[in-house]
Amino acid sequence: MLGALATSAAAGQPAPIGRWELLIGHSYSSARALMQPATLTLEKVEGAPLYSVLDVGALVRGSIAARSWLETGLRARAGSARTPSQRVFGAMARVYRELDPVLVAVGGEYQADGGFDVHALDATAELTPLGGLPGLGTWVSPAVHLRWRPWIGAAVGDGVRPYGRLSADWVQGRLEAGVEESLWLVSGSGRSFVKGDVSLRLVAGISVTISGELGRSPPTWEHTGRAGLGLGFRLAPGD
Amino acid sequence: MRRKDDLGHWWTAGGMERAVIRIVRRLSPGFARRRITKKTRLHQDLGWDEWYVLRVAKPIRTTIHVGLEDRVVLAARTVGDLVGRVWNAMGGPA
Repeated sequence: MLGALATSAAAGQPAPIGRWELLIGHSYSSARALMQPATLTLEKVEGAPLYSVLDVGALVRGSIAARSWLETGLRARAGSARTPSQRVFGAMARVYRELDPVLVAVGGEYQADGGFDVHALDATAELTPLGGLPGLGTWVSPAVHLRWRPWIGAAVGDGVRPYGRLSADWVQGRLEAGVEESLWLVSGSGRSFVKGDVSLRLVAGISVTISGELGRSPPTWEHTGRAGLGLGFRLAPGD
Repeated sequence: MRRKDDLGHWWTAGGMERAVIRIVRRLSPGFARRRITKKTRLHQDLGWDEWYVLRVAKPIRTTIHVGLEDRVVLAARTVGDLVGRVWNAMGGPA
């Protein structure tokens, strides 16, 4: 009996973990954003050239201690359908520390607009509870495949900007939908940016995605609003 | 076959497997206990998000006395994956 159980444990040998892993998604700006597919949308308007909208982020992750790990990555919010001031290019590095019941992340991020006219270099600190409330990080119930996660934090660059982020996901078979709302307090006034997506998975890692965004986001805080249908791509350990 | 935890206690493969499954069941309220087995997928079947899976690290440290690296926990896809990783982290066979 013991031998059989030992064999069963050995038979379920987990796949080895590389020292570093690569993840590709919509953006590294949050875990939710990284799990959204990176999207390429092409738009054709009669009498106008073909426009493109690109949202992609790549992240490399590796261990630095038993309860800490490091992530570093690049992201682009670009495409010819966006004006240079609405495009964002960024790079960041952050360290996570698990302190159950919370997860803490500290890091630094560089962001620039499409023309590299506006630059922002921020240090950030944020935290999220790992769980503990219905639907926080896990489905509300076996029948309701809805979950949510809050983050609070602050960015320090040219001033201190407290922020909060709330994301929610719904999954039903091959269909996934999600929304993420970010709120910043900038010089005493609030700024908000919301983005959402609905994806139909075609094969592992590839989906048809409707995505949209509305509001003001760093570094320019220029108002943007758009929605589009495109092809989504995601590279994550679960895909 | 038996292996030692970090405190020097001996575990059988079956005893450790049952302890890991108990931890996962406690973190999955609303799910029928018998539905959670080694084949259960943490993200697709239980709906755990990327960070929720870290909730297993502390009870594994405190009840099975094995310190798994967080990145090892994050890489787990199924309950069986977790069982295998805890077993691999234990000391050599008796």
